[in-house]
Amino acid sequence: MLTEALDHLVRGIVDHPDDVHVDLRERRSGKVLEVRVHPDDLGKVIGRAGRTAKALRAVMTAIGGKGIRVDLVD
Amino acid sequence: MTTQDAGTDAHETAPAGDGEDATQSLLEREGDIAADYLEVLLDIADLDGDIDIDVEADRASVSIIGDGLDSLVGPAGATLDALQELTRLAVYRETGVRSRLMLDVGGHRARRRAELATIGREAAERVLASGEPERLAPMTPFERKVVHDAVAEVDGVISESEGEEPERRVVVQPA
Repeated sequence: MLTEALDHLVRGIVDHPDDVHVDLRERRSGKVLEVRVHPDDLGKVIGRAGRTAKALRAVMTAIGGKGIRVDLVD
Repeated sequence: MTTQDAGTDAHETAPAGDGEDATQSLLEREGDIAADYLEVLLDIADLDGDIDIDVEADRASVSIIGDGLDSLVGPAGATLDALQELTRLAVYRETGVRSRLMLDVGGHRARRRAELATIGREAAERVLASGEPERLAPMTPFERKVVHDAVAEVDGVISESEGEEPERRVVVQPA
């Protein structure tokens, strides 16, 4: 569910939705959602002053609980 | 589910200088795109909510209505603001026009707006009685606008904003 939710949120805001990949990794520290996007979309997903990345994290925490981490992989 | 079907693409080629009709149809389209984006999210997260789309004066307004949506509002509406931000970006991706769409969840903004109007009106009345200016708590631009509007309804006082974001606040003073 978490992977699918983040995948949907990111796909909706980028220019290359087919290049969006989200993987869920179980780390000792907790769950990490790793997001990969087309290189041209990286700036879009981060946003001005990290605003978009912050918004993605806020919504995922709301849906999945406090322990969820979202990492943008470049 | 696809976010956009071919039928709505016609709006994209409508001349920009078409005045009110073009604005109206752009705002309606913004509402539809936002509703699609949010509907799929609710579905995935297994949250129950009905989506209401409206066009208010100059912006699209989308509300998710239902109980048990507190998680999407978050502390002081922080999650709601985040979701609104993402929804605006999803709209921008489709229309190519920056969106000022307002999102509400579970009536949160509507309640907050009523609270802020009361805060503004009561401050105006206190200032009118005392003749002393009053500085209110820091607020977002939208919150300040609601307060300014409420103060403007009271004769004999004016309001201004002072300070830098995010500490910017409304000051009410005798006119």
